[in-house]
Amino acid sequence: MSRPRRSRLPGSLIVTLAVTAAFLWAARAVGFSADRFGGLPGSLARMLAQFFPPDVAYGREVVLGAIVESIQIAWVGTLLGAVLSLPLGLFGARNLFPRLGAWIKPVLGGIRAVPEILLALYFVPAVGLGAFAGALAIGVHSVGMLGKLTADVVESMDTGPVEAVTASGGGAVGVLRFAVLPQVLPEVLALWLFRFEINVRASAVLGVVGAGGIGGVLLNTLRYRQFPQAGAVVLLTVLLVLTIDSVSGAIRKRLVRG
Amino acid sequence: MSVGAPPRAGRGRGALLVAVVVALLALMTGWSAAGVGFAPGELLRNLGSLRRIVGDSFPPDWAFWRRLLAPFLETLQIAVVGSVLGGLISLPLAILAARGVAPTPAVAWVHRQAMNLLRTMPDLFWAMLFASAVGFGPFAGALALTVFTVAVVSKLLSESAESIDFALTETVRAGGGGWSSTVRFAVLPQILPQYVSFVLYAFEINVRASTVLGLVGAGGIGMVLNTQRTTFQYQRVTLIVLAIFGVVVLLEQLSEAARRRLV
Repeated sequence: MSRPRRSRLPGSLIVTLAVTAAFLWAARAVGFSADRFGGLPGSLARMLAQFFPPDVAYGREVVLGAIVESIQIAWVGTLLGAVLSLPLGLFGARNLFPRLGAWIKPVLGGIRAVPEILLALYFVPAVGLGAFAGALAIGVHSVGMLGKLTADVVESMDTGPVEAVTASGGGAVGVLRFAVLPQVLPEVLALWLFRFEINVRASAVLGVVGAGGIGGVLLNTLRYRQFPQAGAVVLLTVLLVLTIDSVSGAIRKRLVRG
Repeated sequence: MSVGAPPRAGRGRGALLVAVVVALLALMTGWSAAGVGFAPGELLRNLGSLRRIVGDSFPPDWAFWRRLLAPFLETLQIAVVGSVLGGLISLPLAILAARGVAPTPAVAWVHRQAMNLLRTMPDLFWAMLFASAVGFGPFAGALALTVFTVAVVSKLLSESAESIDFALTETVRAGGGGWSSTVRFAVLPQILPQYVSFVLYAFEINVRASTVLGLVGAGGIGMVLNTQRTTFQYQRVTLIVLAIFGVVVLLEQLSEAARRRLV
């Protein structure tokens, strides 16, 4: 706090130089060049122009079904993650279970570090191509974040009711039922909804490795350069995400406030 | 939660509402489970194929590690370019989208809508679009992560810009400063630490995202993963997944430590 400010300047200068150097080195390696960058607006505009008008019939016959499947994958995956994460979150809370929590939380962090699409690589050959593999991948991945955040919610709750239930002779079940769950449930439900929003985006992508949903459709239309069809996919995906986000966001606001 | 909360007037109506919501959720769940083909029984009956895939995946093909170094480096380079470029674009966008900071409410509204639109598309969708616009390879991946970084950082940063201490902006304006000097002397100094922290956070997400960009042809370790996956070399797939896990966790720890020092 009382350190003179001047001594900090060289530090930030070094960081700036290091970041700039790293950027230039990486940009060269990745293939950034002046003319490639200059040609970017042109090639993007050319592609997007071919997106319009989007193929409406294709949208109705193929894309809509795949979008519905993506929603279903996200819903089942979120529920799966929610059901599995609730006990892990409770046992992972260090104010209730100090010793258990100390090793459950790092495990949850580890689960979170594996992207769902990598999990899908294993679930697809295990249960076959399709939506079920996607739902399993999303479910397992969601456990990491939901479990950790649930534990955080439990850790920040008011411990008064816990002591009250214990003082009046309640056991562990009574404490969970009457002191913990009523306090944390609204926030935990809001977390689940938030995760559902994330999972809608995630499930949209999983089709890339054959785990169902809209992603595979986009990959195929772009591969065969069927741009009006790809336009239908992009348009409907944007509409889907906007709708889910605004509905879910409105419910979350009411949950946390009420 | 407050002690003196007034008694609920329509208890019966509340119970009805809860019943309707629960019924709707159950319906949604049944419909989704049927659509997805959710079958835990199937999972148990297919234990054989589950055992086979585990058998095919272990032990990892350790000797393959040499061929992972260059692609991993490329992955890291994609993440660096996307984070820096996206971070640079986010700063002006966030300021123009922040209510109370942008020159006029209309400007803030337009930029906020642009920001929201960017946020709707999943990262791999951007990667697919850029790959088909500029060709397969890391350049497409770096562009996708640039857009993705802008989406994440500008949103977070514009929220910080909306919650700054406005007494300072008033002071600058009272001293005769225009909009640009208000931003320069009152807004930027207040949001700069958060800005750096958000870009670091985006870098963490980008490292994770850049490992799978290759699945759609946008460069990095994911390209190797895709060839090994489609030729069913699962012992190599496992090695790559373990390596990705290690790199992601390591960089997350480093970046988190850096962010803690900042805040």
